[in-house]
Amino acid sequence: MILGVALAVFGAAVPAFGSPYLMGVVFQVAMWIALAQSWSMLSATTGYLSLGHAVFYGVGAYVCVLLTGTIPFELALLAAAAAAALFAALVGMPVLRVRGPYFVILTYGLSELVRHVVMRIESALGSFGRMIFDVPATEVLLWWMVGLAVLATLGAYAIRHSRFGAGLAAIREDEVAAETVGVPVTRLKLLAFIASAAIPGAVGGLALLRTSYFEPAQAFDPVISFTIVTMALVGGTETVRGPILGAVGFALLSELLWSSLPQLYMIVLGVTLIAFILFVPRGLSGLVGRIGRAG
Amino acid sequence: MAFLDITGVSKRFGGLMALSDVSLQVEKGEIFGLMGANGAGKTTLFSVIAGHVAPSAGEVVFNGTRLTGLSPSRICRLGLCRTFQIVRPFAGLTVAENLRVAALYGSGRKLSAVEIARVVDAALEAVDLSDRRHLDAAQLTLSGQKRLEIARALATGAQLVMLDEVMAGLNPTEVSAMLATLERLRGDHRLTFVIVEHVIGALMTLSDRILVLDHGECIAFGTPEEIGNHDRVAEVYFG
Repeated sequence: MILGVALAVFGAAVPAFGSPYLMGVVFQVAMWIALAQSWSMLSATTGYLSLGHAVFYGVGAYVCVLLTGTIPFELALLAAAAAAALFAALVGMPVLRVRGPYFVILTYGLSELVRHVVMRIESALGSFGRMIFDVPATEVLLWWMVGLAVLATLGAYAIRHSRFGAGLAAIREDEVAAETVGVPVTRLKLLAFIASAAIPGAVGGLALLRTSYFEPAQAFDPVISFTIVTMALVGGTETVRGPILGAVGFALLSELLWSSLPQLYMIVLGVTLIAFILFVPRGLSGLVGRIGRAG
Repeated sequence: MAFLDITGVSKRFGGLMALSDVSLQVEKGEIFGLMGANGAGKTTLFSVIAGHVAPSAGEVVFNGTRLTGLSPSRICRLGLCRTFQIVRPFAGLTVAENLRVAALYGSGRKLSAVEIARVVDAALEAVDLSDRRHLDAAQLTLSGQKRLEIARALATGAQLVMLDEVMAGLNPTEVSAMLATLERLRGDHRLTFVIVEHVIGALMTLSDRILVLDHGECIAFGTPEEIGNHDRVAEVYFG
């Protein structure tokens, strides 16, 4: 809660004082917070680890690029979020029937499938990347992205502290027992899936507007999915502050690496993930909590 | 019509008839015992009633509603809840949180926070777990987890609770404590129970009526005394 407010204030201050570079960094940080927090709405609550969240980002970007120029960009972003949510609603029923490693692989496969389909469609249309012109000012986009990060954080917080969240936790612990004590398991899982897809759709749209260039291989890049999972796990999935800590830490780290050692980025991502899973299973958030209690 | 009315239920798993043409009527407020050796079909019958397994034939009617084809969560919200022989606690949640989920979802109505707290407290009280409410469910002993199973079923607000071998694996002290708990539940609440139990003495003491299953078929039905004197039962049980 406090973190959310602090984030909003910080985001509001940046356009006033910041350099373009700083604005770029904040845009990235806010983007990853929004994505990791959205991911946690499904995966941290139910234990269904999605390795395909890039698909929602990509769907959002695609819808946004198709609509830009025809309607105001605010509406295009809403449409992007709605399209990602609708896509989740359509595929959710079959996808959420499997769990554990099967769910992880299936979400990854689905994301890759959509990426290739969109690539085929685009090349059949003779389009090799679409440029968009007349994009909103960077400050405006930054505002939107910070807003999405705050919205995702508040959403994740609200879910965890609601009746809905209690049902999702029961599903994570034992799906059969949850069903037995009256939790409508299938419906709750689907709702969580849809909730976790909507904001990434809008994020994809915004990221597109920022780069003003759409290329399917990039918009549906699986590295987006890997990064989201890594950030959320490194941050810790037990609390709402976890994904924030993970996203901030990683986004800043990647800024450092991109500027000095870009070829090391993926290696560092992997090594960090392994190290955290082995040695800090409760993530940065757990570490902070432990230090807080000790001090 | 009986509170729980089961007519002609059969369940075939491949070539195995786990249940064949089982019919029984449970009246409101009674404790109905199910007896039978391992593999007699008792747990399968529970799974059919609670909606975890679809019967191959026959139907289950509870409180005037046909249950066949409904999901377990829907059946629970109609007022029928089961426990599991192999306990299934929400291991990472506390004892109180386990019950809270059941109270939040089990009745199908939106309860106020005060009502939820009251339901949770009552369920804890009923099975003597009040002093362990803040422990993680995983930290309970087996006996504690069996009690949690019962409490969770009670917290759903179920009118009919099916207990699947809540005494299995407990030591004699724990068995008599559990027996006392169940006796108290029968007195305190206006509940109906269907119980499966391997501890025959407990089943005989608790039940108003008993049905004996053998290889998926009903072989005897009656009061505990009648069952105790039944030739076929003695044959199945004692050879």
